[in-house]
Amino acid sequence: MKPTRRSTKVIYGVVGSALLILGAELIGQFQLAGRAWPPLTDVVAYVSTQAGASLVWRNALVTLSAAAQGFVLGVAVAVIGAALALVVPLLRPGFDRFAAILHAVPTIALAPLLITTVGRADTPMVIAALSVGFVMFVTMTSGFAHTSAAHEDVFTVLGSQRIQRLARLEVPQAIPAFFDGLTLAAPAAVLGATIGEWFGAPMGLGLVLVSAMQNYQMALLWSAALAATIMSLAAYLIFVQLQRVAVRRFA
Amino acid sequence: MASAALVTAPTFTAAQTASPTGVGVASGPKTAVSIRAADKMFSLGRGKQLQALAQVDIEIEEGEFVAIIGPSGCGKSTVLRLAAGLDEPTNGSVEIFGAEPRQLAKQHRLGVAFQEHALLPWASVRSNIALPYKVAGRKVDDARVDGLIELVGLSGFEKARPKQLSGGMRQRVSIARALVLSPDLLLLDEPFGALDAVTRRRMNAELARIWGEEKITSILVTHDVDEALILADRIIVMTGRPGQVREVKKVDFPRPRDAETTRSPEFHALVDELTSLLDASESAAA
Repeated sequence: MKPTRRSTKVIYGVVGSALLILGAELIGQFQLAGRAWPPLTDVVAYVSTQAGASLVWRNALVTLSAAAQGFVLGVAVAVIGAALALVVPLLRPGFDRFAAILHAVPTIALAPLLITTVGRADTPMVIAALSVGFVMFVTMTSGFAHTSAAHEDVFTVLGSQRIQRLARLEVPQAIPAFFDGLTLAAPAAVLGATIGEWFGAPMGLGLVLVSAMQNYQMALLWSAALAATIMSLAAYLIFVQLQRVAVRRFA
Repeated sequence: MASAALVTAPTFTAAQTASPTGVGVASGPKTAVSIRAADKMFSLGRGKQLQALAQVDIEIEEGEFVAIIGPSGCGKSTVLRLAAGLDEPTNGSVEIFGAEPRQLAKQHRLGVAFQEHALLPWASVRSNIALPYKVAGRKVDDARVDGLIELVGLSGFEKARPKQLSGGMRQRVSIARALVLSPDLLLLDEPFGALDAVTRRRMNAELARIWGEEKITSILVTHDVDEALILADRIIVMTGRPGQVREVKKVDFPRPRDAETTRSPEFHALVDELTSLLDASESAAA
């Protein structure tokens, strides 16, 4: 089979997106999914108004900030945790189980705990960090584990200390996995922050979603959803580009 | 070097046959590697075991180049892993310069070129060769690294990464990395195993030249008789599973061993003799 040409790929992407948008518009126009599914043109018209744009924009920035903070926190904790589990194998089973249990508990169940401990304002950031942390911990532990036996032997015969082996072999080896993890973690951070805002955050897209739903403001509801989707997709695309560079450089 | 090998040879044979405990005798050359009555078993699970080595005795003097040849799977590489401290013998003992093999690695006095070059894919030729300095926590000696890059004929490729190099070039980087700290013991595990015959021959000549300059105690594992004859002072022929020392042959062709040497009838006679020994080992293994 011939490799798909770049221009063909672009055409597929554009045609697919156009069909999706057209489909959403038609379902809305003919009310095939009831009145809760407005035509896309209505949503765009709402975002184009001064009031609509400013409302969505201000809240999107709040969500973005919570997602970014949670992203950084989650990535940092997960990478340090995975490195510790690698250097001190005794910790590994405990860390693995802790991460799995934390991931298995539904966010809804954690909400009351988080609201009483970190407060309503910081809950979105912490939930984003939790979503990011699990993904990153899993990819990093597997990334660290994938050193080849031959490379391990090289460091052994060179008389390497543990810390040198970590810094010069395991960390560079895990860099492609790190960026793989980031492409998954970035959308997870946006989703985590948005969900976190449902539990009474003072501002953010999650809050807008809840309030628009309760007040039956369908255009606003879909504008907020659209903003969250665009944010999440953009984060994903940015990290995919970085991941490509990393793979080229380190693999 | 050839004359030195001639002088030291009788001492060695005497030590090997008559006095297995005669290590570090004040007179005569010092023993660099001493493997005594080494057995190595590998567990295959479900109580099954594979005996890779049986009663292997190998003594190597300081400054000597020894080649180990034998059929595939005869435990040649296992001998090297014992000497490198990467494996331990099930029975018997291994001493390198009178100490445990691991001590040599810990003191950064060991150089190993592996069968798969095992270069770091993200690092340039230069940083791959400088790696031993960094791992040892020493300042990188740029002049030494540059000198080795030139010695292995890779000038102009300092910034290239391993995937941009040919197989032969990668092996040369790997050998330069093994040599960079001027180790007291150099272990070469079929470093040219994956190369074509022409490149391989050229690499042999280069390695002989490099060794001529550094004169490091070396063990080369190979299944290529010509390669062993071009490089070694002494050749150890091993039999197949379990690996045992079948024969030890002294090689005293003058160095450098150029085309004139390799075309001589004496060379061919030794090739034939060693090849027939290998064939016998092969059928014994099968």
